[in-house]
Amino acid sequence: MFHRFRVVRPDSVGEAVALLREHGDGAKVVAGSTAMTIMLRQGLLTPTILVSIAGLEALRTIRLRNDALEIGALATHRDVELSAVVRENAPLLSEAFAKVANVRVRNAATVGGVLAEADYASDPPAALLALDAEILVEGSTRRSVPIAEFFVGFYETVLEPHEIITGVRVPLTAHRGYAYEKFVTRSSEDRPCIAVAALVEVDAHGDCVDARIAVGGATETPLRLPEVEATLRDRPIDLAAAAVIGQAYADAAKPLSDMRGSSWYRREMITVWARRSLVVAAAMAVSRGGRQ
Amino acid sequence: MTTDEFGDRRDIPGMIDAWDRVTGAVPFTINQEIPGMLHAKLVRSLSAHARIAAIRVDRARRVPGVVTVLTGAQLAARRDISPYFGPFLRDQPILAENKVRFVGEPVVAVAAETIESAEEAANLVEVEYEDLPAVFDPVAAFEEGSPILHEEPPKMSSLFVDVTMRNRVGTNVANVYSIRKGDIEKGFAEADHIFEDVFSSPAVQHVPLETHVCVASVARGSITVWASTQTPHVVRAQLAEIFGLPLSSVRVIVSTLGGGYGAKTYPKIEPVTAVLALVAQRPVRLHLTREEEFVTVTKHAATVRMKTGLRRDGTITARQSTAYFNTGAYADVGPRVIVWGGFGQGGPYRIPNLFVDTYSMYTNTPPAGAFRGFGINQTAWAHEVHIDMIAERLGMDPLELRMKNVLEEGEAFATGDPVENWHSKELLQSVAENIGWTYPVAPHRNGSRIRAKGLSVSASRAIPLAVSTAAVKMNIDGSVNVLSSSVEMGQGIQTALALLAAEALTVAPSQVHVSEVDTDVTPYDQQSSASRGTYSMGAAVQAAADEVKGQLLQLASEELEVSPADLEVVAGHVRVKGSPDRCLSFSEIVRKSRSGNLMGQGRYRAGGALDPDTGLSLGPGPGHWHQAAGAAEVEVDIETGHVDVLRFNAAVFAGRVINRVQAELQTEGNVAFGVSQALFEEMVFDHGQLQNTNLGDYMISSIKDMPQQLNVTLLEYPERSEIHGVGETALPSIMPAIANAIYNATGVRVTDLPVTPEKVLRGLRLNGNGAS
Ligand SMILES: Cc1cc2nc3c(=O)[nH]c(=O)nc-3n(C[C@H](O)[C@H](O)[C@H](O)COP(=O)(O)OP(=O)(O)OC[C@H]3O[C@@H](n4cnc5c(N)ncnc54)[C@H](O)[C@@H]3O)c2cc1C
Repeated sequence: MFHRFRVVRPDSVGEAVALLREHGDGAKVVAGSTAMTIMLRQGLLTPTILVSIAGLEALRTIRLRNDALEIGALATHRDVELSAVVRENAPLLSEAFAKVANVRVRNAATVGGVLAEADYASDPPAALLALDAEILVEGSTRRSVPIAEFFVGFYETVLEPHEIITGVRVPLTAHRGYAYEKFVTRSSEDRPCIAVAALVEVDAHGDCVDARIAVGGATETPLRLPEVEATLRDRPIDLAAAAVIGQAYADAAKPLSDMRGSSWYRREMITVWARRSLVVAAAMAVSRGGRQ
Repeated sequence: MTTDEFGDRRDIPGMIDAWDRVTGAVPFTINQEIPGMLHAKLVRSLSAHARIAAIRVDRARRVPGVVTVLTGAQLAARRDISPYFGPFLRDQPILAENKVRFVGEPVVAVAAETIESAEEAANLVEVEYEDLPAVFDPVAAFEEGSPILHEEPPKMSSLFVDVTMRNRVGTNVANVYSIRKGDIEKGFAEADHIFEDVFSSPAVQHVPLETHVCVASVARGSITVWASTQTPHVVRAQLAEIFGLPLSSVRVIVSTLGGGYGAKTYPKIEPVTAVLALVAQRPVRLHLTREEEFVTVTKHAATVRMKTGLRRDGTITARQSTAYFNTGAYADVGPRVIVWGGFGQGGPYRIPNLFVDTYSMYTNTPPAGAFRGFGINQTAWAHEVHIDMIAERLGMDPLELRMKNVLEEGEAFATGDPVENWHSKELLQSVAENIGWTYPVAPHRNGSRIRAKGLSVSASRAIPLAVSTAAVKMNIDGSVNVLSSSVEMGQGIQTALALLAAEALTVAPSQVHVSEVDTDVTPYDQQSSASRGTYSMGAAVQAAADEVKGQLLQLASEELEVSPADLEVVAGHVRVKGSPDRCLSFSEIVRKSRSGNLMGQGRYRAGGALDPDTGLSLGPGPGHWHQAAGAAEVEVDIETGHVDVLRFNAAVFAGRVINRVQAELQTEGNVAFGVSQALFEEMVFDHGQLQNTNLGDYMISSIKDMPQQLNVTLLEYPERSEIHGVGETALPSIMPAIANAIYNATGVRVTDLPVTPEKVLRGLRLNGNGAS
């Protein structure tokens, strides 16, 4: 059921922020509207004014700048998936964005939208977490928030109501091995029951220099355990080592229950998929030759 | 490709409306608009079972643009309306009167100038509920002391003669169907082994792309509705009952439906739309949201307890089986579904001693109705998993156990009537060969993935005592109009009827136009469901065409002064046998005889009545048996329980194929339904409140979930020229074939649908497998 609202299309981020400040709780920003339309239909949101930033083409760019990939908030999932710069510099992201829903959704859904929505059952956040991305935010001031601090709970972020995501900054990494494993329990177009992003870099002997594992979809906010990752350093990542990591993530997680799987099941799946992603990423890193 | 390449577009093999479908030119009822039309919105119950203490509509009435706000009490007070409906029991109020019986039941109806005003007003209606104890499970609803949904005896409807009503007033039993065949005690005494298992399947959705939609107009003592219905004549009859009008004063017009699958059989939203139009004195449109569709009609959830006795060699001697079908808060077609669900418990097997009780149970959940596969899905799920379980306990090949027990030509079906044109063995053999069945089952392991195969066989009895009538008009140019009330819903009935009429009259299909449904014009048909269109309406159309052909011969004989016996009909002409130049085209015959047009009518009547006491056939069967077999190969990841259906072979008996493309597509569509119901689909309720009310939370299979290899076998015996419906034939066999394959891969036996990865993994853990 649709509530009545007005749509305004500001010409700049500044103007959009000003509108959000002016109208307070009655205003909501909208980009691709794939999530917004559902929330409006279900009556979860009843704004009087929708501030559509969809026309701000400047926020759609994807570029390399100062050892980082900068992706505008309005880049669509499809833009990220197909971008040569992304494929070249952060192939993990291409993979993760390519696995979202179907091509119709990916053509509309934006990078800013998926982050702001903060639905636990999403793909990109875990990949961005593994990459230590920063979220670029504009409100009263500009700030940049490390993604590890961005999500605070179930559909909750650190964003102030008048703040807008303008993009994400993804520092370039040397990791040559990566994997993004999305696991669905229903239709193949479902959101993830769980998903695991892994990055691995090895030295010339095949020993791990750095490994990162982020689990999405299973817990309120995506899960990364740097102290567990650190235990992998300076040794080869074999099946047994990967299994230990999978178990450690499963033990630390507080998985959710929903129709995609119970908390018990999700914990089991963390064990399996953290291990599997790590094995895939490690094998890729080794096969591409280690750091000299 | 340009249009020219198609030449005459209507000769495309496939569907005659393919071009219109691809170009978006098919008119659907959702596009129906009439001047002055209002928009309706329903206020729905928030309680599963409650007395309505108060309804406050003042604020709703004051919303600008609101024309009518209607309550059940207002309807009950009217003398010109009988405000209940239902095809067997008229137990469903158009708007809840004193109490509500499920979450989502319509309580108040609003009609306004715009949909926005109607929605705003609906939001302002306040309803006070006094909650009553509720019951959600059909087995619990049967127990003594269960909350009762319907205290008063409902009015009966006299629409159908094929089902005997044995509803038990003052209980939750909406109907009972029993089979008493042979001597059950003796049968079990003869058995060396007796096995008993319980199976269940949940409520699921039909998910037609087009949700229910209706436009109604009431003027000058007659009603016109444009409805998305598979049963125009039933809707007409029930509106006539509600309004106390002769059938001739109710007109039901049906365009092509955007899918049906059983969801659109029997009245649903037409009564409330029509009474709004009456009260508002303006045309009214109602179009359900997907959330509303989910609480309008479902497939029956069912629990089946099945006990089978067999001799040491695997011969079945007896079966006793009880099923509880959850018909929801209102009976809808539930009283008939349990008849199929009843004989369905015998399956395609030879069971000399059969004792079946099947209950249609009221519960505080949305009404369940017809669903593709009609009662056979729930029971084939039971008997096909059961027979695999038995085979394993006996150490027998499940294929051999089936082959040993399936019926053969002329033997007695569960209902006692002899099966005709029966091919279970051939169908089974064909799918087993196609899939490469071997015994002992040899699961193939590759890392954590295990592949294995599974089989199933199923059958149903055609709808008895149903009638189709049709008219065929030949115009002065020799072209043909077919008038029929068969509803086109993507199954391709218009193409099939055009091909049959063209064939009977020896004209090109492009010369035939098949009407859409308008009950003022198109003759009676019981319903577009039960896989009956092509054989039942097809037979009526052929008979009508034959009558026209007879008239052509008669008129030509007068014109040519030759006895009709010396004439023959060839390619749109009547000519004298042996002298092909003495010949008249159809057009010349109609013109010269100054007939205006020729008109023929045809009728098809199915037999197959059942005895109300024994559940057995009183004479010859309904003439058609829907027969299928399925074979699946799945791959299970034993670390996650995830299942991929790699291959599926679906074989159905088709008799004579009228349109190969469509017959294959119907069967492929069944596989899409079956994979989805085997692995994903379930309406999840919490105390009667549906938890997954949209297609994000309730997922159906996507194209990527289809088997990588999908083979359809249409078993044909064209020389008998008998047409067999295939609309739903394959579906019941699909879920058990997949589940049996999963068992053969993993040793995990899931008896409650759907077979989710989590259930499989839990099973693996219980068996001490699948540890990571
Ligand atoms: C059918 C379907 C399937 C899906 N499957 C998947 C899946 O498999 N995996 C997955 O990860 N996701 C999935 N999604 C989620 C989808 O990716 C998100 O809905 C989408 O990314 C949101 O982006 P949007 O631009 O459409 O956001 P909108 O709908 O426009 O907005 C979403 C929310 O973010 C806010 N917002 C939007 N942009 C900004 C901004 N720049 N700054 C601040 N706030 C903002 C809005 O106010 C709103 O609260 C699915 C969605 C659908 C509809």
